[in-house]
Amino acid sequence: MAEKYNTKCPGVKRLMREAIELAEATEEYCARPLEDNLFEWHFTVRGPRGTDFEDGIYHGRILLPKEYPMHPPHIILLTPNGRFEVNKKICLSISGHHPETWQPSWSIRTALLALIAFMPTPAEGTIGSLDYSPAERKTLAKRSSNWVCPQCGQISELLSSTAAKPPTEEEQSVLNQIAFKGEEEQAQKPLGEPIFEPQNIPFTQQVLESSDTTTSFLDQLTEILVALLIGAIGIFIYRRWNALASADSEL
Amino acid sequence: MADDAPSSSTFAGNSVDSSINQDELIMKQQREIEQEISETIPLVGDLESLQTLEKEYNEDPVYMLKVKDLSAKYKYIRRTRPDGNCFFRAFSYAYLEHLVTDKQEYEKFYEIAKNSKEILVALGFPQFTVEDFYETFMEVVQRVGEHAGGTLDELGAIRQELHDKFNKQGYSDYIVVYLRLITSGQLQTEHDFYQNFIEGSRTVTEFCRQEVEPMYKESDHIHIIALSNALKVGVRVRYMDRGEGSQVMAHDFPEGAKPLVHLLYRPGHYDILYA
Repeated sequence: MAEKYNTKCPGVKRLMREAIELAEATEEYCARPLEDNLFEWHFTVRGPRGTDFEDGIYHGRILLPKEYPMHPPHIILLTPNGRFEVNKKICLSISGHHPETWQPSWSIRTALLALIAFMPTPAEGTIGSLDYSPAERKTLAKRSSNWVCPQCGQISELLSSTAAKPPTEEEQSVLNQIAFKGEEEQAQKPLGEPIFEPQNIPFTQQVLESSDTTTSFLDQLTEILVALLIGAIGIFIYRRWNALASADSEL
Repeated sequence: MADDAPSSSTFAGNSVDSSINQDELIMKQQREIEQEISETIPLVGDLESLQTLEKEYNEDPVYMLKVKDLSAKYKYIRRTRPDGNCFFRAFSYAYLEHLVTDKQEYEKFYEIAKNSKEILVALGFPQFTVEDFYETFMEVVQRVGEHAGGTLDELGAIRQELHDKFNKQGYSDYIVVYLRLITSGQLQTEHDFYQNFIEGSRTVTEFCRQEVEPMYKESDHIHIIALSNALKVGVRVRYMDRGEGSQVMAHDFPEGAKPLVHLLYRPGHYDILYA
């Protein structure tokens, strides 16, 4: 891997350091880059204790933009969980603010811890969120340990029994503020340098592209209809006015 | 904008979707503008004569007077990319460029820079990532130190190296991030003092998380005061706006300090000035 990337580039150096930091699986999370692409990782997290997800083990992809860590990572869940749509890019933001509030001093670990913490929060109709019943989520959680990733294998075997380094107080207060939401595909096309693009686009890509075009189409349609309506009213008033005017002049 | 949106889940139908679409559209447009800027304007440009500014304001009598005044005080300008990071980028470039010819100031700065990481970690910043930014920052600082006060050829070479590094997005942004962290650290260390500068009900910590640490967030007075105090570096900002008078007002940070860095401020943007 080291030969393929410019290790002088701070972003590459950073990802390699993160790969080393996260190399050892913990009982709560683990993550590692794909063998042929430092900018795509796979992760596994355990559902948070005391919630509908506590029996669940969830697997997914992390896509790093070429500007990482200046721009946030994107997360895609692959294991059905009843909280997030699968195969849909979600990104983290601070609740109530735009995702630009991502901070370069956060890391993939921050993103994973935040994801775990965010799972039990209400979906509230945000893009990419699902509002399944507790029973459905529990069923999915039980089923999840049998889930197999084509690249990583049986996900229940990926986590270890080692306790993760607990987040500091400071970190915890940040984690509690992070929210996740789905994003519009077309708005997030990566720019430039193809080297950072995933080389072998997996099966999930096609599903990703299809989301959310319908709503924006409906919005456009509504706008066109409103414009037509206003135009029609205008013509109607104009003609009435003319009719009145000519009636006046005839008198 | 998103702050005002009702959080009620009963209306989670079309209304929420369309507001999100609006948000996405605005963000998409913003990204297109950002991309255009990044394709046309270098992170830090070459030295230009101040006459280029005169041309820019040919038809604008208010600005023309001020450019004339500026020309009497400075000879050159170096433009930076208007990406919200311009203050940090302009400041660090101008200061490191100054250190190339000022070994004594370099020694003073090196000590401050070296101790900065411990301060940040003690404040609760994640050690792992702070170290990452610190190392890249110090790598650039040390390169300057190795050549500071050297022969003319050496100075030319290190200036060129500095210019190249500042125009490599990776290095350049890493330096900006580290200065943002130092600024945030200073604000939090002296939070009682800086709280007075923050409008509204935000705490210093909240302000730092929302306006200082994230990239692309524009700098205000409070950022400049905090950074110049943290690094003990004098900065003179020349203000050029539509305000009355024909003079470009100067503001020194920290007050009374000898300015080593001169910046030109035009609403929303900082460039570097040279006498």
